[in-house]
Amino acid sequence: MNGVSTADLALLSPELILVGMVLALILAAHRIQRGPLALVGTIVAAVASAAAAAWVVPADGATGFGGMIALDGYSRFFEVLIAASLAVAALLSVKSLDGDRVPRAEYHALLLLASTGMMLAVSSLDLLTLYLGVELMTLCSIVLVGIRVDRPASNEAAIKYFLIASFASALLLFGISLTYGVTGATDFAAIGSALRGRSSDPLLLAAMGLLAAGLAFKIAAVPFHAWAPDAYEGASAPVAAFLAAGSKAAGLAALGRVCLVALGSEARTLSMILAALAALSIVVGSIIVLSQTSMKRLLAYSSITHAGYALLGLVAGTPEGASATMTYAGFYVFMTLGAFGVVIALGERGETLDGFQGLAAQRPGTAALMLLFLLALTGIPPTAGFVAKFGVILSAVRADHVALAVLAVICSVVSAFVYMRIAVFMYMKEPLEPAPSRFPVTVCAALAVTALVTLVGGILPGSLAPWTVPP
Amino acid sequence: MTEYIGIAVVFAMAGGVAGLMVILSSTLGRKNPTAVKLAPFECGKEPFSLPGGRLAIKFYLTAILFILFDVELVFLYPWAVVYRDLGLLGLAEMGFFLAVLMAGFVYAWKNGALDWR
Repeated sequence: MNGVSTADLALLSPELILVGMVLALILAAHRIQRGPLALVGTIVAAVASAAAAAWVVPADGATGFGGMIALDGYSRFFEVLIAASLAVAALLSVKSLDGDRVPRAEYHALLLLASTGMMLAVSSLDLLTLYLGVELMTLCSIVLVGIRVDRPASNEAAIKYFLIASFASALLLFGISLTYGVTGATDFAAIGSALRGRSSDPLLLAAMGLLAAGLAFKIAAVPFHAWAPDAYEGASAPVAAFLAAGSKAAGLAALGRVCLVALGSEARTLSMILAALAALSIVVGSIIVLSQTSMKRLLAYSSITHAGYALLGLVAGTPEGASATMTYAGFYVFMTLGAFGVVIALGERGETLDGFQGLAAQRPGTAALMLLFLLALTGIPPTAGFVAKFGVILSAVRADHVALAVLAVICSVVSAFVYMRIAVFMYMKEPLEPAPSRFPVTVCAALAVTALVTLVGGILPGSLAPWTVPP
Repeated sequence: MTEYIGIAVVFAMAGGVAGLMVILSSTLGRKNPTAVKLAPFECGKEPFSLPGGRLAIKFYLTAILFILFDVELVFLYPWAVVYRDLGLLGLAEMGFFLAVLMAGFVYAWKNGALDWR
């Protein structure tokens, strides 16, 4: 066996760029603890890696490393999405890094490494590289959640997240080993061809259930969601935003590829598992969110609900359904980053629901932005949230899951109550607290980008269609 | 399967004799416990004890660093075995791998992880 060729390395160029920046940050850690250099480096690496994902490999994509890594349309879409969420999360971090005593170089290096893991997970064609990517993402996320070492809540959240994440990894690994036991392969294409034309097998059912459960932990789908609210609450808001956006997109991408490529011939059984996960996430998420008063917990439950909606596309088990899920993930990342962005911009005040009272009178622009993101999270036109939700519900109806689609629509009405309550607080109540101070320019930039995507995506509904290439 | 019968018989006899001894001594034996008699003897330490004394955290850090770099160096062995087949590219890759490892080492050093204070 020869060494790795340069063509193989080109497939990993987005990841390699991020890792290169990590090394630079680690080596220069002492000189860049103050000042914006770490942030600038992270943004440059994110942009370069998105560009590399988009242009280094020819448009029809390629596979390498003995069929373990692919840079095709599917992974390209998610890699650009992950790079975007990395850049926005880094921009949003400035304010909280000033407040907390967090070492900047290490913080940004961990963000970059977590994104590397996500990219590896979305581009892997083999269960083992997928596991490697997911694990890299999770380990860095755990440290990021607990990076405010002088706060007990942050430590507690990190330990809870660590315990549950290791449990989830064990489930995922058990699923991988059972899949290997049934099919004799870990690579998706080989698993797919080994399963074709086989009668159903209880061991295979267990393997699929465990794989789905392990990945459902990563996207925080009910009943594997319990870590999310605690982890988001204990983490600083930008880290929570990054977890809600990036790791969810990566988990969905990994689940999508496993479901469509590896387990495509078992679509009937798999769609039952996924439909149960989706229905539970939508119902439980949109009911529990009603009682939340902490904004981070509220957005955590909202992200659980949205994981359920995104799964609706995968329930169909068709390429069109996968495209709908990709559109959903793409728009959801920006609207949730935007909503978290407003929370971050408001600082201490934004942490609770009451902090939003009378915001419109004090800061009309901020209130309008928050309203836009809330409309998008509810799924009301002309925002991207409507386009996204319409796509996944349509694909559920086409796959004859009408009951599931009806449930999804009912629950989005229920969760509209929560989002609109924030709007009522902003526009129809008297302010309780003094007006917030001016926002840092980086936070404004992040809000502008997310708001632009959320609006343009809603006004031009097909704008993502050329890039949502199913695996 | 026949070759396993002997093993099964040994297991059954060993389990039977051991179980019988325990049952006989617990049913027939006279019980007259004192604190000394109840103490664990011949087979190790106290089952319940509070951790005694404090251990300096710097041992912990050193041990972690040792494991970190020691485990990574295991990768050198398979590389050394197939060194000739891999050629120059293999050498370059191992050099890169060691450079990344050294970056971690430099980071640990600069942060004072190796200072014995």
